[in-house]
Amino acid sequence: MELPGPFPVGHYAKGLQGWMRERPRVQLIGEVTGVGRSRVQAYFELRDTDGAVPCAIWLNDLEKAGLPEGSLRDGAEVVIGGGLDYYPGGGQASPNFCFRATHVRLAGEGDLLARLEALRKQLRAEGLFELQKQLSRPRLPRTIGVVTAESGAARRDLLAGLARRGWAGTVVWAFAPVQDRHAAPAITAAIQGLAARPEVEAIVVTRGGGSLADLWAFCDETLCRTVAMLRVPVVSAIGHERDSTLIDDVAAVCCSTPTHAAEAAVPLDCLDARRDLQRAAGSLRRAGERAVGARARHLAALARGPARALQRERGGLNQKIREIRAASERGLAERARSQRRIAGLVLERARRRGLERAASSREEAARRQASLERGAEAGLRRRREALRKAAVALRAHDPERTLERGYALAESLDGESVTSAVAATAAGDVRLRFADGKVRAAIEAEE
Amino acid sequence: MSEKPESYEVAVERLEEIIDRLDSGHAGLRETLDLCREGRELVNYCAAELDAVGEGLKELKLDDLAARLDSSVDPAGP
Repeated sequence: MELPGPFPVGHYAKGLQGWMRERPRVQLIGEVTGVGRSRVQAYFELRDTDGAVPCAIWLNDLEKAGLPEGSLRDGAEVVIGGGLDYYPGGGQASPNFCFRATHVRLAGEGDLLARLEALRKQLRAEGLFELQKQLSRPRLPRTIGVVTAESGAARRDLLAGLARRGWAGTVVWAFAPVQDRHAAPAITAAIQGLAARPEVEAIVVTRGGGSLADLWAFCDETLCRTVAMLRVPVVSAIGHERDSTLIDDVAAVCCSTPTHAAEAAVPLDCLDARRDLQRAAGSLRRAGERAVGARARHLAALARGPARALQRERGGLNQKIREIRAASERGLAERARSQRRIAGLVLERARRRGLERAASSREEAARRQASLERGAEAGLRRRREALRKAAVALRAHDPERTLERGYALAESLDGESVTSAVAATAAGDVRLRFADGKVRAAIEAEE
Repeated sequence: MSEKPESYEVAVERLEEIIDRLDSGHAGLRETLDLCREGRELVNYCAAELDAVGEGLKELKLDDLAARLDSSVDPAGP
């Protein structure tokens, strides 16, 4: 070993004491735990989630601090001022290290806010504020988990908020202390327990109002980191102001009251939703009726179309018939007039022609009369001559004249002429007519 | 649509789409009837969801649930 020494330990201990006392004096803030008192001093640990320092204060310094009686107790948030100290001990006494406080006061709002702001800055830088806000929240969860104090008013207010929503699902309560140094771990465990239940769709963390010191558990770094990493949305409603605690920053939604938290956990107003649903059902029913009814009416109208068209055509035809009839009547009258006029003209022309023809006929008759009269005499003479010639010719052919010349005429018994041998043979008996009389004769066949 | 909707909000969103489409008057007869049928199914689903959270508040304690879970997995339990 190439180290300096060895030095006597007592000498080194005194050197250590001197070195520590030369360290800069500072203020520390934290929660007091393990308070004890000796005859001359009070001792305690100052602690937060990251660590602790053993502290001691001389009783006379404590008295000078003027703290209210009993305020230096476990759980108190205090600010102490002082520096490092080291008691080197001795041959019989044990050495001891402590932060020697010379001043002490209860932590104020400002101190807590400063701590809160530092933590807030750190968590924001790590992106932990955004994780929960990216989760989708069901509008109508069936089951919600709630972390709160069993006896607090927050529980009652939350139920009132749920009732106002018309929501009556399942609430899983995870009761936890909400104000002391045991609160943060208990709340963290409760939230984790609820998140492990698959039926829990949203978690509400709530407590009533108080000072920042009262609400300090909800600024716990471990608690807030746990909430940030959950896959179930967390609704926070701590105190009466939003964004006062760190859990408000990391939660999916932060609210100012438990009532509002209930509404955030169940975003859907079930009463409104039922009305909306009825309206939607009505819209659907009307749309269906419209779609079918309107088309049915249209079809019915179309079906009536041909009848209407026929009616229209019939009406048009009737009108035309009336017009034609009227026109016809007008035409007939006109035609009658025209025909009468024409007939008059024709008659007049016929009468004239008749008169002319009559006159002409009379002249013709007169002419014919004269001609007849002229031709009558010559005609008479010609006819008389012809008659005479005919009488001569007739006489030449008269059978009587032939009989007179010695011929006989064969006749059947009933008077018919027998003009052939065949006829005479057939008749058998004949009558022969001579110029001077008749005789019967029998016909014999020629041998 | 014959599948169960993913969630109440998905069902409501689809229902609003359907009503908007029907109100637009652009849907033909076949589409209208299909949309009406799908809409009625969505309305029934949503009504059932509302009924599920409307039949009376039920309050449980996480500790009791945890104890019940422990007893159900403990073979020596009751």
